[in-house]
Amino acid sequence: MKKIVVPGELITEQRKKMGEHVYSFNGKIYSDVIGITDNESAFASVVPLKGCYIPKYGDIVIGLVVTELFSGFLVDIGSFSLCFMSKEGIREPLKRGSVVSVRVSKVNELNEADLSEPRVFYGGEIYSISPVKVPRIIGKNGSMLEVLRRGTNTNFIVGRNGRVWAKGGNIQLLFKAIKKIEEESHLPNLTNKMSEFLLKEKK
Amino acid sequence: MTKEEKKVYVNKKGLRLDGRKIDELRPLTIKAGVLKNAKGSCYLTWGQNKVLVSVQGPREVLPKHHSDPLKAIVKFNYRMAAFSVPDRKNPKPGRRDIEISKVCGEALEKAIMLEKFPNTQIEVWAQVLDSNAGSRVAVLTAASVALADAGIPMKDLVTAVAVGRAGGKIILDLNKEEEDAPDAVDMPIALMTSAKEIVLLQMDGLFSKTEWDEAYELAAKALEQIKEKQVQALKEQFLQESMETETKEKIKAEVQ
Repeated sequence: MKKIVVPGELITEQRKKMGEHVYSFNGKIYSDVIGITDNESAFASVVPLKGCYIPKYGDIVIGLVVTELFSGFLVDIGSFSLCFMSKEGIREPLKRGSVVSVRVSKVNELNEADLSEPRVFYGGEIYSISPVKVPRIIGKNGSMLEVLRRGTNTNFIVGRNGRVWAKGGNIQLLFKAIKKIEEESHLPNLTNKMSEFLLKEKK
Repeated sequence: MTKEEKKVYVNKKGLRLDGRKIDELRPLTIKAGVLKNAKGSCYLTWGQNKVLVSVQGPREVLPKHHSDPLKAIVKFNYRMAAFSVPDRKNPKPGRRDIEISKVCGEALEKAIMLEKFPNTQIEVWAQVLDSNAGSRVAVLTAASVALADAGIPMKDLVTAVAVGRAGGKIILDLNKEEEDAPDAVDMPIALMTSAKEIVLLQMDGLFSKTEWDEAYELAAKALEQIKEKQVQALKEQFLQESMETETKEKIKAEVQ
Protein backbone atom coordinates (compact mmCIF):
# COMPACT_ATOMS: atom_id res chain seq x y z
CA MET A 1 0.00 0.00 0.00
CA LYS A 2 1.25 3.47 -0.82
CA LYS A 3 1.36 6.17 1.84
CA ILE A 4 2.71 9.68 2.32
CA VAL A 5 5.66 9.97 4.71
CA VAL A 6 7.51 12.95 6.18
CA PRO A 7 11.18 13.24 7.21
CA GLY A 8 11.98 10.97 10.15
CA GLU A 9 8.94 8.75 9.69
CA LEU A 10 9.45 5.01 10.07
CA ILE A 11 9.20 3.13 6.78
CA THR A 12 9.90 -0.41 7.88
CA GLU A 13 11.41 -2.41 10.71
CA GLN A 14 12.22 -5.31 8.38
CA ARG A 15 15.53 -5.85 6.66
CA LYS A 16 15.13 -4.54 3.14
CA LYS A 17 17.33 -3.22 0.40
CA MET A 18 17.59 0.52 0.73
CA GLY A 19 16.61 2.69 -2.21
CA GLU A 20 16.64 6.47 -2.49
CA HIS A 21 15.75 9.00 0.21
CA VAL A 22 15.92 6.61 3.16
CA TYR A 23 18.43 6.09 5.96
CA SER A 24 18.85 3.43 8.59
CA PHE A 25 19.11 4.07 12.32
CA ASN A 26 19.22 1.36 15.00
CA GLY A 27 18.34 -1.29 12.42
CA LYS A 28 15.17 0.47 11.27
CA ILE A 29 14.64 2.34 8.02
CA TYR A 30 13.38 5.93 8.03
CA SER A 31 12.43 8.41 5.33
CA ASP A 32 14.51 11.57 4.96
CA VAL A 33 12.13 13.54 2.77
CA ILE A 34 8.42 14.21 2.24
CA GLY A 35 7.22 11.70 -0.33
CA ILE A 36 5.38 8.51 -1.14
CA THR A 37 6.50 5.04 -0.12
CA ASP A 38 5.21 1.65 -1.16
CA ASN A 39 5.51 -0.93 1.63
CA GLU A 40 4.84 -3.87 -0.69
CA SER A 41 7.91 -3.26 -2.81
CA ALA A 42 11.16 -5.18 -2.22
CA PHE A 43 13.05 -1.91 -1.84
CA ALA A 44 12.55 0.51 1.01
CA SER A 45 12.53 3.80 -0.86
CA VAL A 46 10.69 7.10 -1.02
CA VAL A 47 9.60 8.96 -4.14
CA PRO A 48 9.91 12.63 -3.16
CA LEU A 49 6.97 14.99 -3.63
CA LYS A 50 9.13 18.09 -3.36
CA GLY A 51 12.75 18.82 -4.08
CA CYS A 52 15.33 20.40 -6.30
CA TYR A 53 17.22 19.22 -9.39
CA ILE A 54 20.54 17.46 -8.88
CA PRO A 55 22.31 16.67 -12.18
CA LYS A 56 22.85 12.98 -12.96
CA TYR A 57 24.97 11.42 -15.66
CA GLY A 58 23.06 10.96 -18.91
CA ASP A 59 20.17 13.33 -18.12
CA ILE A 60 18.70 15.38 -20.95
CA VAL A 61 18.00 18.87 -19.66
CA ILE A 62 16.83 22.19 -21.06
CA GLY A 63 19.10 25.13 -20.40
CA LEU A 64 19.88 28.70 -21.26
CA VAL A 65 23.31 29.77 -22.54
CA VAL A 66 24.42 32.49 -20.12
CA THR A 67 27.98 33.30 -21.16
CA GLU A 68 30.44 32.41 -23.85
CA LEU A 69 33.99 31.65 -22.73
CA PHE A 70 37.14 31.10 -24.75
CA SER A 71 36.77 27.34 -24.80
CA GLY A 72 33.09 26.80 -24.07
CA PHE A 73 29.80 28.09 -22.76
CA LEU A 74 28.22 28.44 -19.33
CA VAL A 75 24.69 27.08 -19.30
CA ASP A 76 22.00 27.58 -16.66
CA ILE A 77 20.17 24.27 -16.18
CA GLY A 78 18.50 25.16 -12.89
CA SER A 79 21.08 23.34 -10.79
CA PHE A 80 23.09 24.89 -7.91
CA SER A 81 25.62 26.50 -10.23
CA LEU A 82 26.14 27.24 -13.92
CA CYS A 83 27.39 24.28 -15.95
CA PHE A 84 30.26 24.24 -18.42
CA MET A 85 29.89 23.01 -22.00
CA SER A 86 33.03 22.66 -24.10
CA LYS A 87 33.08 24.06 -27.64
CA GLU A 88 34.88 20.97 -28.86
CA GLY A 89 32.85 19.12 -31.48
CA ILE A 90 29.94 21.58 -31.36
CA ARG A 91 28.63 22.75 -34.73
CA GLU A 92 25.49 24.51 -33.56
CA PRO A 93 25.57 28.31 -33.79
CA LEU A 94 25.34 28.97 -30.05
CA LYS A 95 25.41 32.41 -28.51
CA ARG A 96 24.31 34.14 -25.33
CA GLY A 97 20.57 33.67 -24.87
CA SER A 98 20.23 30.47 -26.89
CA VAL A 99 17.86 27.89 -25.46
CA VAL A 100 19.30 24.41 -25.79
CA SER A 101 18.63 20.84 -24.79
CA VAL A 102 21.83 19.24 -23.57
CA ARG A 103 23.04 15.96 -22.18
CA VAL A 104 24.84 15.78 -18.82
CA SER A 105 28.13 14.12 -19.71
CA LYS A 106 29.94 14.32 -16.38
CA VAL A 107 29.03 15.04 -12.75
CA ASN A 108 31.58 15.50 -10.00
CA GLU A 109 31.27 15.07 -6.23
CA LEU A 110 30.22 18.69 -5.83
CA ASN A 111 27.22 18.12 -8.15
CA GLU A 112 28.84 20.29 -10.83
CA ALA A 113 27.96 19.03 -14.30
CA ASP A 114 29.66 19.16 -17.69
CA LEU A 115 27.37 19.24 -20.68
CA SER A 116 27.53 18.05 -24.28
CA GLU A 117 25.41 17.34 -27.38
CA PRO A 118 23.52 20.66 -27.54
CA ARG A 119 20.45 21.05 -29.67
CA VAL A 120 19.29 24.61 -30.26
CA PHE A 121 15.60 25.48 -30.06
CA TYR A 122 14.19 28.20 -32.25
CA GLY A 123 10.90 29.74 -31.12
CA GLY A 124 8.46 27.85 -28.94
CA GLU A 125 7.64 28.36 -25.29
CA ILE A 126 9.08 27.08 -22.03
CA TYR A 127 7.14 26.04 -18.94
CA SER A 128 8.82 25.16 -15.66
CA ILE A 129 7.62 22.59 -13.15
CA SER A 130 9.09 20.97 -10.07
CA PRO A 131 11.85 18.53 -11.18
CA VAL A 132 10.50 15.75 -8.94
CA LYS A 133 7.26 15.68 -10.96
CA VAL A 134 9.02 14.94 -14.27
CA PRO A 135 8.61 11.13 -14.03
CA ARG A 136 4.83 11.61 -13.79
CA ILE A 137 4.80 13.69 -16.98
CA ILE A 138 6.70 10.96 -18.78
CA GLY A 139 4.65 8.12 -17.30
CA LYS A 140 5.36 4.42 -17.52
CA ASN A 141 7.33 3.83 -20.73
CA GLY A 142 6.35 7.29 -21.91
CA SER A 143 2.60 6.59 -21.76
CA MET A 144 1.74 10.04 -20.44
CA LEU A 145 3.91 11.73 -23.09
CA GLU A 146 1.97 9.87 -25.76
CA VAL A 147 -1.37 10.99 -24.28
CA LEU A 148 -0.24 14.61 -24.14
CA ARG A 149 1.23 14.56 -27.62
CA ARG A 150 -1.90 13.05 -29.15
CA GLY A 151 -4.24 15.27 -27.13
CA THR A 152 -2.58 18.58 -27.98
CA ASN A 153 -0.71 17.98 -31.27
CA THR A 154 2.29 19.84 -29.89
CA ASN A 155 5.93 19.09 -30.43
CA PHE A 156 7.49 19.19 -26.97
CA ILE A 157 10.52 18.07 -25.01
CA VAL A 158 10.64 17.46 -21.27
CA GLY A 159 13.96 18.09 -19.56
CA ARG A 160 14.90 16.24 -16.39
CA ASN A 161 15.37 19.61 -14.70
CA GLY A 162 11.65 20.29 -14.93
CA ARG A 163 11.62 22.55 -17.98
CA VAL A 164 9.26 21.77 -20.81
CA TRP A 165 9.86 23.28 -24.25
CA ALA A 166 6.88 23.22 -26.63
CA LYS A 167 6.14 24.44 -30.13
CA GLY A 168 3.17 24.20 -32.46
CA GLY A 169 -0.32 22.85 -31.77
CA ASN A 170 -2.30 23.79 -28.70
CA ILE A 171 0.45 24.95 -26.32
CA GLN A 172 -1.94 26.55 -23.81
CA LEU A 173 -3.80 23.27 -23.39
CA LEU A 174 -0.51 21.39 -22.99
CA PHE A 175 0.66 23.70 -20.22
CA LYS A 176 -2.74 23.50 -18.56
CA ALA A 177 -2.52 19.72 -18.64
CA ILE A 178 1.04 19.73 -17.27
CA LYS A 179 -0.03 22.03 -14.44
CA LYS A 180 -2.83 19.61 -13.61
CA ILE A 181 -0.39 16.68 -13.60
CA GLU A 182 1.92 18.59 -11.27
CA GLU A 183 -0.91 19.32 -8.85
CA GLU A 184 -2.19 15.75 -8.80
CA SER A 185 1.08 13.88 -9.14
CA HIS A 186 0.53 12.01 -5.86
CA LEU A 187 -2.80 10.52 -6.98
CA PRO A 188 -3.15 7.18 -8.77
CA ASN A 189 -4.52 6.50 -12.26
CA LEU A 190 -3.28 9.79 -13.67
CA THR A 191 -2.84 8.77 -17.32
CA ASN A 192 -6.49 7.81 -17.76
CA LYS A 193 -7.59 10.97 -15.98
CA MET A 194 -5.45 13.09 -18.28
CA SER A 195 -6.75 11.53 -21.48
CA GLU A 196 -10.28 12.21 -20.27
CA PHE A 197 -9.32 15.76 -19.32
CA LEU A 198 -7.80 16.44 -22.74
CA LEU A 199 -10.85 15.03 -24.52
CA LYS A 200 -13.14 17.23 -22.44
CA GLU A 201 -11.06 20.36 -23.02
CA LYS A 202 -10.91 19.77 -26.77
CA LYS A 203 -14.68 19.85 -27.04
CA MET B 1 3.47 45.18 46.32
CA THR B 2 1.81 43.82 49.47
CA LYS B 3 1.40 40.12 50.18
CA GLU B 4 -2.30 40.09 49.26
CA GLU B 5 -1.60 41.50 45.81
CA LYS B 6 0.93 38.81 44.91
CA LYS B 7 0.12 36.97 41.71
CA VAL B 8 -0.90 33.34 42.03
CA TYR B 9 0.69 31.65 39.04
CA VAL B 10 -0.99 28.29 39.67
CA ASN B 11 -4.18 28.38 41.74
CA LYS B 12 -5.66 25.69 43.97
CA LYS B 13 -7.53 24.11 41.08
CA GLY B 14 -4.23 23.73 39.23
CA LEU B 15 -5.09 26.44 36.72
CA ARG B 16 -2.75 29.16 35.55
CA LEU B 17 -3.27 32.89 35.01
CA ASP B 18 -4.73 32.34 31.53
CA GLY B 19 -6.81 29.35 32.61
CA ARG B 20 -4.54 26.63 31.29
CA LYS B 21 -3.46 23.53 33.20
CA ILE B 22 0.23 23.22 34.06
CA ASP B 23 0.86 20.75 31.24
CA GLU B 24 -1.31 22.45 28.64
CA LEU B 25 -0.01 24.14 25.49
CA ARG B 26 -1.36 27.35 24.04
CA PRO B 27 -3.49 26.71 20.93
CA LEU B 28 -1.17 25.76 18.07
CA THR B 29 -1.88 25.84 14.33
CA ILE B 30 0.62 25.06 11.58
CA LYS B 31 0.15 25.53 7.85
CA ALA B 32 2.78 24.48 5.34
CA GLY B 33 3.32 25.75 1.81
CA VAL B 34 1.80 29.20 2.19
CA LEU B 35 4.22 31.16 -0.02
CA LYS B 36 4.41 30.41 -3.74
CA ASN B 37 7.72 32.10 -4.50
CA ALA B 38 9.65 30.30 -1.77
CA LYS B 39 10.87 26.71 -2.09
CA GLY B 40 9.24 25.89 1.21
CA SER B 41 7.25 27.89 3.73
CA CYS B 42 5.25 27.65 6.91
CA TYR B 43 2.89 29.86 8.85
CA LEU B 44 2.52 29.07 12.52
CA THR B 45 0.42 30.55 15.27
CA TRP B 46 1.11 29.54 18.84
CA GLY B 47 -1.04 31.45 21.29
CA GLN B 48 -0.34 35.07 20.45
CA ASN B 49 2.87 34.21 18.58
CA LYS B 50 2.60 34.44 14.83
CA VAL B 51 5.58 33.51 12.69
CA LEU B 52 6.16 33.14 8.98
CA VAL B 53 9.13 31.09 7.81
CA SER B 54 10.37 30.62 4.26
CA VAL B 55 13.19 28.49 2.89
CA GLN B 56 15.31 29.11 -0.19
CA GLY B 57 17.94 26.82 -1.61
CA PRO B 58 20.09 24.82 -1.67
CA ARG B 59 21.82 27.34 -3.90
CA GLU B 60 25.20 28.85 -4.65
CA VAL B 61 26.95 30.35 -1.62
CA LEU B 62 27.45 34.08 -1.65
CA PRO B 63 30.01 35.37 -0.77
CA LYS B 64 31.85 32.45 -2.28
CA HIS B 65 34.52 32.15 0.42
CA HIS B 66 31.84 31.11 2.95
CA SER B 67 31.23 27.87 1.08
CA ASP B 68 32.24 24.50 2.46
CA PRO B 69 33.25 21.86 -0.13
CA LEU B 70 32.18 19.06 2.23
CA LYS B 71 28.71 20.18 3.22
CA ALA B 72 26.01 22.79 2.83
CA ILE B 73 25.81 25.75 5.19
CA VAL B 74 22.62 26.95 6.85
CA LYS B 75 21.92 30.66 6.98
CA PHE B 76 19.19 31.28 9.50
CA ASN B 77 17.64 34.73 9.69
CA TYR B 78 15.47 35.44 12.72
CA ARG B 79 13.89 38.87 12.62
CA MET B 80 11.16 40.45 14.69
CA ALA B 81 8.84 42.88 12.99
CA ALA B 82 8.76 46.42 14.37
CA PHE B 83 5.13 45.88 15.39
CA SER B 84 5.63 42.48 17.03
CA VAL B 85 6.08 43.87 20.57
CA PRO B 86 4.02 46.36 22.63
CA ASP B 87 6.60 49.12 22.08
CA ARG B 88 8.22 49.63 18.70
CA LYS B 89 11.10 47.26 18.10
CA ASN B 90 14.05 48.72 16.27
CA PRO B 91 14.08 46.75 13.00
CA LYS B 92 17.87 46.68 13.02
CA PRO B 93 18.99 43.15 14.01
CA GLY B 94 20.08 43.38 17.60
CA ARG B 95 22.04 41.13 19.93
CA ARG B 96 19.03 38.92 20.56
CA ASP B 97 18.13 38.43 16.87
CA ILE B 98 21.68 37.45 16.02
CA GLU B 99 21.88 34.99 18.93
CA ILE B 100 18.59 33.31 18.08
CA SER B 101 19.57 33.09 14.40
CA LYS B 102 22.77 31.33 15.46
CA VAL B 103 21.28 28.80 17.88
CA CYS B 104 18.31 27.96 15.66
CA GLY B 105 20.56 27.56 12.61
CA GLU B 106 22.83 25.22 14.54
CA ALA B 107 19.86 23.21 15.79
CA LEU B 108 18.64 22.70 12.23
CA GLU B 109 22.13 21.77 11.02
CA LYS B 110 21.90 18.67 13.21
CA ALA B 111 18.75 17.54 11.43
CA ILE B 112 19.51 18.43 7.80
CA MET B 113 21.62 16.02 5.75
CA LEU B 114 24.09 18.71 4.80
CA GLU B 115 26.63 16.39 3.18
CA LYS B 116 24.24 15.81 0.27
CA PHE B 117 24.66 19.38 -0.97
CA PRO B 118 28.33 20.37 -0.83
CA ASN B 119 29.25 23.97 -1.72
CA THR B 120 25.72 25.27 -1.28
CA GLN B 121 23.73 27.28 1.20
CA ILE B 122 20.26 26.77 2.59
CA GLU B 123 18.58 30.01 3.60
CA VAL B 124 15.88 30.13 6.24
CA TRP B 125 14.06 33.41 6.73
CA ALA B 126 11.98 33.61 9.87
CA GLN B 127 9.81 36.63 10.50
CA VAL B 128 8.05 37.07 13.81
CA LEU B 129 4.87 39.03 13.21
CA ASP B 130 3.49 38.94 16.73
CA SER B 131 5.10 37.68 19.89
CA ASN B 132 4.29 36.77 23.46
CA ALA B 133 7.14 34.67 24.91
CA GLY B 134 8.45 31.52 23.26
CA SER B 135 9.00 32.97 19.81
CA ARG B 136 12.26 31.07 19.29
CA VAL B 137 10.59 27.69 19.81
CA ALA B 138 7.77 28.78 17.52
CA VAL B 139 10.26 29.79 14.84
CA LEU B 140 12.25 26.57 15.16
CA THR B 141 9.13 24.41 14.95
CA ALA B 142 7.95 26.32 11.88
CA ALA B 143 11.40 26.29 10.26
CA SER B 144 11.65 22.51 10.30
CA VAL B 145 8.23 22.25 8.66
CA ALA B 146 9.29 24.77 6.01
CA LEU B 147 12.49 22.82 5.34
CA ALA B 148 10.57 19.58 4.93
CA ASP B 149 8.14 21.43 2.67
CA ALA B 150 11.08 22.52 0.50
CA GLY B 151 12.01 18.86 0.02
CA ILE B 152 15.35 19.14 1.79
CA PRO B 153 16.51 15.77 3.17
CA MET B 154 16.38 15.70 6.96
CA LYS B 155 16.91 12.99 9.55
CA ASP B 156 13.87 14.11 11.49
CA LEU B 157 11.71 17.14 12.10
CA VAL B 158 12.97 19.45 14.80
CA THR B 159 10.31 20.08 17.43
CA ALA B 160 10.67 22.70 20.12
CA VAL B 161 8.85 23.80 23.24
CA ALA B 162 9.57 25.91 26.31
CA VAL B 163 9.20 24.70 29.88
CA GLY B 164 9.85 26.67 33.00
CA ARG B 165 8.94 27.62 36.54
CA ALA B 166 6.65 30.31 37.86
CA GLY B 167 5.38 30.63 41.41
CA GLY B 168 7.37 27.53 42.43
CA LYS B 169 5.57 25.22 39.97
CA ILE B 170 6.99 23.62 36.84
CA ILE B 171 4.81 24.70 33.92
CA LEU B 172 4.72 24.14 30.20
CA ASP B 173 4.82 26.74 27.44
CA LEU B 174 5.18 29.96 29.45
CA ASN B 175 3.57 33.19 28.32
CA LYS B 176 5.04 36.64 28.89
CA GLU B 177 3.32 37.14 32.26
CA GLU B 178 4.71 33.88 33.62
CA GLU B 179 8.13 34.55 32.17
CA ASP B 180 8.24 37.76 34.22
CA ALA B 181 7.53 35.97 37.52
CA PRO B 182 10.06 36.76 40.28
CA ASP B 183 11.29 33.16 40.51
CA ALA B 184 10.89 32.45 36.79
CA VAL B 185 12.98 29.93 34.92
CA ASP B 186 12.54 29.62 31.16
CA MET B 187 14.01 26.70 29.27
CA PRO B 188 13.48 26.36 25.51
CA ILE B 189 14.24 22.83 24.41
CA ALA B 190 14.30 21.34 20.90
CA LEU B 191 14.45 17.66 20.09
CA MET B 192 14.56 15.29 17.18
CA THR B 193 11.81 13.24 18.75
CA SER B 194 12.34 9.81 17.18
CA ALA B 195 16.00 9.60 18.25
CA LYS B 196 15.46 11.72 21.40
CA GLU B 197 18.43 13.84 20.37
CA ILE B 198 18.53 17.30 21.92
CA VAL B 199 19.48 19.98 19.38
CA LEU B 200 18.76 23.12 21.38
CA LEU B 201 18.76 23.66 25.12
CA GLN B 202 18.94 27.06 26.73
CA MET B 203 18.06 28.08 30.24
CA ASP B 204 17.24 31.44 31.76
CA GLY B 205 17.49 30.95 35.55
CA LEU B 206 18.32 27.83 37.53
CA PHE B 207 16.60 24.48 38.09
CA SER B 208 17.31 21.96 40.82
CA LYS B 209 17.97 18.38 39.70
CA THR B 210 14.46 17.17 40.54
CA GLU B 211 12.90 20.20 38.85
CA TRP B 212 14.92 19.52 35.70
CA ASP B 213 13.73 15.90 35.61
CA GLU B 214 10.15 17.01 35.99
CA ALA B 215 10.55 19.74 33.36
CA TYR B 216 12.12 17.39 30.83
CA GLU B 217 9.34 14.85 31.26
CA LEU B 218 6.75 17.58 30.77
CA ALA B 219 8.53 18.83 27.65
CA ALA B 220 8.96 15.35 26.14
CA LYS B 221 5.23 14.71 26.42
CA ALA B 222 4.34 18.05 24.84
CA LEU B 223 6.84 17.57 22.01
CA GLU B 224 4.97 14.45 20.90
CA GLN B 225 1.79 16.51 20.53
CA ILE B 226 3.61 19.24 18.60
CA LYS B 227 5.30 16.73 16.31
CA GLU B 228 1.90 15.29 15.46
CA LYS B 229 0.72 18.75 14.39
CA GLN B 230 3.84 19.26 12.25
CA VAL B 231 3.34 15.95 10.47
CA GLN B 232 -0.33 16.70 9.98
CA ALA B 233 0.46 20.11 8.47
CA LEU B 234 2.87 18.58 5.97
CA LYS B 235 0.53 15.78 4.91
CA GLU B 236 -2.53 18.01 4.82
CA GLN B 237 -1.31 19.83 1.69
CA PHE B 238 -1.63 16.72 -0.40
CA LEU B 239 -4.88 15.52 1.10
CA GLN B 240 -6.41 18.94 0.55
CA GLU B 241 -5.34 19.08 -3.08
CA SER B 242 -6.88 15.73 -3.84
CA MET B 243 -10.07 16.73 -2.03
CA GLU B 244 -10.22 19.98 -3.95
CA THR B 245 -9.94 18.29 -7.32
CA GLU B 246 -12.47 15.69 -6.29
CA THR B 247 -14.99 18.33 -5.27
CA LYS B 248 -14.25 20.32 -8.43
CA GLU B 249 -14.96 17.24 -10.50
CA LYS B 250 -18.15 16.60 -8.53
CA ILE B 251 -19.35 20.17 -9.10
CA LYS B 252 -18.53 19.91 -12.78
CA ALA B 253 -20.41 16.61 -13.06
CA GLU B 254 -23.41 18.13 -11.30
CA VAL B 255 -23.43 21.11 -13.66
CA GLN B 256 -23.26 18.88 -16.69
